[in-house]
Amino acid sequence: MNIRSISLIAGGLLSLGVCVSIQAAPITFNTALPVGKDEFILRQQFMLMQSGDDNTGANRDRTEYSSMTAAVYGINSRLSLFGVLPYRDISLSMNDTGQKVNRGSEGIGDAQLFGRYIFQQNNTKGATLRLAAFTGIKIPTGKNDHNDSLGKLPAPVQSGSGSLDGFGGIVITQQTLSYQFDSQISYRLNTEADNFRVGNVFKLDASLQKRAWPDRLGNGVPMYLYGVLESNLVYQGKNKTNGVSDDNSGGTRLFISPGLQIVTRRWIAEGGVQIPVLQSLNGTALEGKYMLRAGIRVNF
Amino acid sequence: MKKIIIISLFSLWTNFAFAAGTQYDMRVDGLACPFCAYGIEKGFTKTEGVKSVDIDLKNGLVIVKTEEGKTFTEDQLKEIINDTGFTMKSMTEKPI
Repeated sequence: MNIRSISLIAGGLLSLGVCVSIQAAPITFNTALPVGKDEFILRQQFMLMQSGDDNTGANRDRTEYSSMTAAVYGINSRLSLFGVLPYRDISLSMNDTGQKVNRGSEGIGDAQLFGRYIFQQNNTKGATLRLAAFTGIKIPTGKNDHNDSLGKLPAPVQSGSGSLDGFGGIVITQQTLSYQFDSQISYRLNTEADNFRVGNVFKLDASLQKRAWPDRLGNGVPMYLYGVLESNLVYQGKNKTNGVSDDNSGGTRLFISPGLQIVTRRWIAEGGVQIPVLQSLNGTALEGKYMLRAGIRVNF
Repeated sequence: MKKIIIISLFSLWTNFAFAAGTQYDMRVDGLACPFCAYGIEKGFTKTEGVKSVDIDLKNGLVIVKTEEGKTFTEDQLKEIINDTGFTMKSMTEKPI
């Protein structure tokens, strides 16, 4: 493979625009998890993210399998600490001068540590309303220097970012015996690593869970089946390399996610599909096609 | 003879009275889903002397039964419930 080909490939990949940080909220957000004093919740999710059609003719195809482990501990009834650690397997294929090129990486991603404080809670019979603030950091625990025969992989194919980023937001939860509604607004400020900076991310998420079964509650603590519908609005600023904005990165996406949850006293099993209904991305940034999610939460 | 019968009956009564625990019926606000209910159950079962915890989501009831000699004050019950993120509205107690 000659130098010209490598440059074209590198350019194409840098203009990929599929930012590793665009991951809209899962079926009900981690920040909305209910946890009391000395209570511990473990959440394990598995995800498949598939890119969509490539309008550049390079036939870029990006697939990511990831596993996300989240642990929550209740310091007291209002303050909880969260830790999230992903494991990622990313692959990218594209055409260059008639040749198909495959690149990929696998490994631990960037961890998140954050705290949530419930500053307003109103409990009534069979219902609760919670308003909380959260803030934390994304730590560069993932590698951002994976290499292959063509050299260092571009940022969208690395399992880590190399940057220490901060984020925060507000989350509200309204829960009754029939339904739960969560909504959150959040902002992530990304920093630079190795002359590359991912665009800052603004997110607005909403999730409605409606009890589909049992139709009428009996005595005790019955198992629930919830139907779930989420919407996730994500705006990401342009990436920067050496201080220069990449006009083929960032943009706005709106996702709709239908799903199901089985809810018991000790565990919840959940799954859904996240579908982009609006993608207004800059330049040749690669659009997403769908994301599949499945997971389980356990109460300890 | 009469004295022996009275003393025997009295002993029998005190044995029953002090062998039994106490049942606390609490109305709790905020209970809305099964996953949340476990927090209350755990809050009580980790407390020494608690024999059983039953929760009725529909009616917002938490029923705690204790072992012999174990009692709770209203404030203690309130604190346990509050620590799990819920609110105790009322409480009644009776010997089991």
